[in-house]
Amino acid sequence: MMNNIKGQYIGWIVFFIVFMSLAFLNPTEHTINIASKILVMGLFATAFNLLFGTTGLLSFGHALFFGLGAYITGMVVKSYGAEVFIPMVFLGGIISAIVSILLGFLCLRLTGVYFTMLTLAFAQLVWGITIKWYNFTGGDDGIQGIERPPLFDTFSSYYILILIVVFISMLLIYIVRSSPFGMVLRGIGQNPKRITFLGMNVYRHCLFAYVISAFFSAIAGGLFAGIDGSIHPNLFFWTQSGGVILMTILGGLNSFFGPLIGATIFIILEDVVIRQTEYWSFVIGVIMLSAVIFLPKGVISLLDFIQRLRKT
Amino acid sequence: MEIYISQFIGGLSVAMLLFLVASGLSLIFGVANIFNFAHGSFYLLGSYIAYQTISLFPNFWIGLITATIGAGLIGAILEFIFLKRLYGRVNEGPFQILLTYSFILILDDAVKFIWGPEYKTIVKPDILEGSFVIGSIFIPKYNVFIIIVGIAIALLAWYVLNKTKAGMIVRASSLDRTMVGLLGVNVSMVMTAVFGIATALGGLAGAMAAPLRTVTPGAGIEVIIDSLIVVVLGGLGNFWGALLGALIIGEVNAFGILWIPQWASLLSFAIMIIVLIFKPQGLFSKSR
Amino acid sequence: MFKKHFLVLGLVAVIVLLSFSVSMAAEVIKIGALYPMTGRAGLYGKDSEAAIKIALDEVNAKGLVKGKYKLDVIITDDQSKPDYAVSVAKRYITSDKVKFLFGVISSAVGLAVTEVSKDYKVIFIGTDHAATDLTAHKFQRYYFRVSNNTYQSMFAGAMYLKDMPGWKKIAYIGPDYAYGRDQWLELRYGLDKLGVKYEIVGEFWPKLYEPDYTSYITAIIRAKPDILVAGFWGGDTVAFIKQAKAYGLFEKMKYFHPDAGGNYELFAAMGDELPDGLILSARHHNNWPPTKENKAFVDKFYKATGRYPSYAAQGAYAGILFIAQAIEKVGNPNDTEALVKALEGMKLKLPEDPEGFTSYIDPKTHQIVQMQAIGVTEKNDKFPPAKKMLGNFKVYPADKLMPTDEYVELLKKTKK
Repeated sequence: MMNNIKGQYIGWIVFFIVFMSLAFLNPTEHTINIASKILVMGLFATAFNLLFGTTGLLSFGHALFFGLGAYITGMVVKSYGAEVFIPMVFLGGIISAIVSILLGFLCLRLTGVYFTMLTLAFAQLVWGITIKWYNFTGGDDGIQGIERPPLFDTFSSYYILILIVVFISMLLIYIVRSSPFGMVLRGIGQNPKRITFLGMNVYRHCLFAYVISAFFSAIAGGLFAGIDGSIHPNLFFWTQSGGVILMTILGGLNSFFGPLIGATIFIILEDVVIRQTEYWSFVIGVIMLSAVIFLPKGVISLLDFIQRLRKT
Repeated sequence: MEIYISQFIGGLSVAMLLFLVASGLSLIFGVANIFNFAHGSFYLLGSYIAYQTISLFPNFWIGLITATIGAGLIGAILEFIFLKRLYGRVNEGPFQILLTYSFILILDDAVKFIWGPEYKTIVKPDILEGSFVIGSIFIPKYNVFIIIVGIAIALLAWYVLNKTKAGMIVRASSLDRTMVGLLGVNVSMVMTAVFGIATALGGLAGAMAAPLRTVTPGAGIEVIIDSLIVVVLGGLGNFWGALLGALIIGEVNAFGILWIPQWASLLSFAIMIIVLIFKPQGLFSKSR
Repeated sequence: MFKKHFLVLGLVAVIVLLSFSVSMAAEVIKIGALYPMTGRAGLYGKDSEAAIKIALDEVNAKGLVKGKYKLDVIITDDQSKPDYAVSVAKRYITSDKVKFLFGVISSAVGLAVTEVSKDYKVIFIGTDHAATDLTAHKFQRYYFRVSNNTYQSMFAGAMYLKDMPGWKKIAYIGPDYAYGRDQWLELRYGLDKLGVKYEIVGEFWPKLYEPDYTSYITAIIRAKPDILVAGFWGGDTVAFIKQAKAYGLFEKMKYFHPDAGGNYELFAAMGDELPDGLILSARHHNNWPPTKENKAFVDKFYKATGRYPSYAAQGAYAGILFIAQAIEKVGNPNDTEALVKALEGMKLKLPEDPEGFTSYIDPKTHQIVQMQAIGVTEKNDKFPPAKKMLGNFKVYPADKLMPTDEYVELLKKTKK
């Protein structure tokens, strides 16, 4: 246990140093663009995993919250200017949290795949409405030219903003996960009946985790709106929800930093492989397949492996 | 009145094709409790294998057979080499998602590499060309064929799963593989066989859908969500449930198109929300 | 042994020298292209890629500005995802130092990439996406489009319908997103402008990539239109026609599909099964105009790929030729402003131009102005595996097909 905590410390330091130093190494705009996306998707995956990695409840509709965050920020900034950008990111989180209370109320009564499919259905419904409600959302043409907030209006300064917000958000999620509340969540994942016998309310704990998860997913979405200033309804689509599930599992769903690592691998692979070959799907498929077969706890188990090597 | 009859019959054939495509998933996911995200890719493979066969031997029925066997064999081999390694692992379910998703990526590209990006087509056999006409209602013969095959598969699956020893073993394996193994059954072979049969059903559906749809790379991933809806709506582990799920989706869409055409494309999800809110375990909920 | 080594060494030396002499001879101008290469739209990407190669061979054979420059095209799969395309477009500009952005099939991707082009002041040549918005109220001066937009094809469609006798009731079916909705809006606008009286008896909106149209088909037949207008593209057209045929839909009404219905992939996919008498058009036809330029282009494409091109190919081919001609005219690939000026109003004889007409770029909207030909399906096995092609073409003059200011105002009002 002690060792584990020490490992997490090192994780935080490495995480911060790597992403901070990127900003000072005179990177190209493209490197920063990719790093920004890694941070944003990393936060999204970490937030998603607060529910999945502990309780085992698999939401196939988390794109709903990510998209909501992106669209609230994007649409309001488009109408009222970049000054409201940062407040809108947080407002997006709060609105998302409120929506998630309503959805959680309906979905969390369900278990297993039924929960998964109900979350999917809601997200797809919102996706459909976003496409159809052209005059309000811009339909499937999306929203273009979303300005970044003042003070953070260049790609590199905006990166710093993302880094700060993502770092703080992830710290907060970490605190939640390692609190007694997080312990209960993990208990639910192992044996929900035992938690009930201990006199605790499974449903209420899951709902609370779902709401926190939705809040931070929307924060990630809001930040995403500023990276390229271009957002689209496919942020709500099931492929987006699916992407975050794959990232999380690939990285390692039982470890706090697993989802971030998964997001890093996904985004870098997508960038590098697609640039090289038209048959990227085959190449990425083979890489993913090998990872599943050889890294039974996700890519993060590579780190354990290195640690074990050092000890012996 | 006639319009309702013709919409109803149209909805019926939509439903049967949906059921046919979803039947393999219902078996592997619903009954054997293994998630196969790549079900649509076997559907896609079925279309292409049938196309390839028919362009060599111009006979539709041979195409159906090779598609079924081909997709089933590839499925069984993939299960034997890869999926097998996941059984019993911590987080087995999540890794099934990831592994079968990598199948999608690989198979979709393989199809494009082998057969090119152009759209392919399979022509219906002569015997199934044309329609039965009753008054002003048209019922294409091919749709009748699909309805018959769909019902046959549902009956066969019900019989095998509930009335035979093999079916019992499969159902028992989905609950506790170790236990069934201890009883002296070769669970490993059972799983390979079930996966093979499920993907064979996917291949059959792909070949049968090809004369009505477009055979193109990427068509596989498009059927997976619809199939999932059908399987879950009825309640896992139940072919009759899947059939009912498909019927509801097919018919609600058929009449939705008539009355609220502008919202028709969202109806499937609306149905799923309504059903799951009132029946949290699907329509034929079975305690599992 | 030694001999062999010398041989290898000599070969290497020759190759190095050759490549050196090539790179010494001409400076390479990079063009960053975005096309879908996977999934359903992958066919258009692959066809565009092949057409780009044909155009590059022609252009680079003699080089540009007296052999000073050569063109090179990088292609990345945009997966038809706008947010991914934006990040690739930015990488093209900032890391790969491309001088032009190029391509794009999906209008949503086009609308996203045109913003990048505007922000970075890099010319974007759109070769295939058809949303009228891009050359109307979303216009920006670094954007040029070298294929027709939906307004042009739908207005030609309205003119066709005006001349067609004996119809009154009309219904529409198209995919439930901007492309499908725009076509219907534009056709009705055209019909109203031309003073055609009609009655709408149904509008149907299946989702994009809908696999099963059965329930739509029975509903359409019940609505009893004289004309069914369709707004599908690609595989959706194929699936709809296959399924509708068994219901006898094509005997009960005219099928009218003027934007993308006449794409070659439909003919290739359906062979003999395709009904006669469908009224279709596309942005390029393999058998129209019967000029030697068009024949040469189609033959070259066939020789290179072993298949006949879908309409996307001609747009990509045209795009490269426009870039080459602009550089030739300005003499300096780095002077973007001069290149924009040169492209405005530029004329170029393209494969799809009939005798006596030359395509040109409208200086005000940067939209190419081209003839639109609408034909009817009939037997023609000169382009296998197709067994039927379009014939009996009616041609609509290019200058009549440009969006009016009034329409652009309407777009501004109805769309943000």
